[in-house]
Amino acid sequence: MVALDAPLISNLEVWANIALVRQYHRNSSGRDAEQEVTQYLRRFHLESIKNKRNSALTDKERFCVMLIRAAMVDQAVVVIDRPAKIMPDMENSQFIYDALEKIDDLFNECYIFDYIWHKDRY
Amino acid sequence: MDTAIEYIGRTSLNFFKTVQDNLSFSIKVIAGMLNIRSYNPAMRKVLVNQIYFTSVQILPLFIVASIIFGTLIIGIIFQVIKNMGLANYMGHLLIGFVVTELSPIIAMLLIALRSGSAINAEIAVMKVNNEMKTLEMFNIDDINYLYMPRIISGIISIILLSSLFSILLLLSGSLFAKFMFGMSVAGYANVLSSSVLFSDILILFLKCCIFGFFITLIPIRSGLDASNELTSIPIAVLHGMVRVFIAVIFIEVLSLIIRFI
Repeated sequence: MVALDAPLISNLEVWANIALVRQYHRNSSGRDAEQEVTQYLRRFHLESIKNKRNSALTDKERFCVMLIRAAMVDQAVVVIDRPAKIMPDMENSQFIYDALEKIDDLFNECYIFDYIWHKDRY
Repeated sequence: MDTAIEYIGRTSLNFFKTVQDNLSFSIKVIAGMLNIRSYNPAMRKVLVNQIYFTSVQILPLFIVASIIFGTLIIGIIFQVIKNMGLANYMGHLLIGFVVTELSPIIAMLLIALRSGSAINAEIAVMKVNNEMKTLEMFNIDDINYLYMPRIISGIISIILLSSLFSILLLLSGSLFAKFMFGMSVAGYANVLSSSVLFSDILILFLKCCIFGFFITLIPIRSGLDASNELTSIPIAVLHGMVRVFIAVIFIEVLSLIIRFI
């Protein structure tokens, strides 16, 4: 789930937020999970935000982090709920499609839900 | 008259409801603590962090406070022992009062004030920010991941810090024993070791565990009472700290009754 209703955990860094799913469900060690997360962040050229917390992220960075986190679930079905709420400055959906393409090996399916009046953005 | 009876009834029902909620929550947490699968890497990471925040970061303050406060207390105890001619009971007084009574209270007070309030606010903020929903969506058990590490770290911290407090006090006691009674360090250690009973250590250990458990569990439970409004955070913290205070008095009275009756 990529949605404002499922925010990043505020007392964890970006990498720990993403790694949490792997550490909890796959028993990955902290070091392995961090290396894996760094590799995914590199695909977005976002290694520099690895140690930042939620409040220090831009809207686009936050969206990418939430997207990677959603894809960490085994056999993930990614649901993006109203992306314009996460990125109010989003003009069209190209950014979302580009982001999804970068991690298309990590999820099975993806659904995007948005208001009907945002139809022209897609 | 009806209103007064209604008020008493409502207050009593609320009190018993709170006690029942806390006890059922305690049972869930204890069940989680006994399940080996709860100790996954994510939980262990939080546990290590919590032990660091609760018992390592506090060390400089705790050591200075223990030395100043402890030396004062031990000085008074030795003065009383000397004035009242209780030198033969020195060991029992020191072990019975300093080790089993004073040290867990001091450690508990510092941890409740510092970490208890922080845990209460942290959980309340997470509740307000909908972060609990995030955990639920990713099928992460909040008891295993959020509450258990904090409660276990509370128990470990109280045991470690009250032991440290006892050691520091008994060490400063050796100086007083030397200057006031001309007792050698070996003689002082002998008096202490012959005064220690297994039951004292057991009661101390159990008391530390119970204190540690409740001064972290109650703030967590109160933090969860926060609504979706920011203004509910200070209210949750306030209620949590008052409940901790009541629980501490209750546990202390209960332990004294068990010990002396």
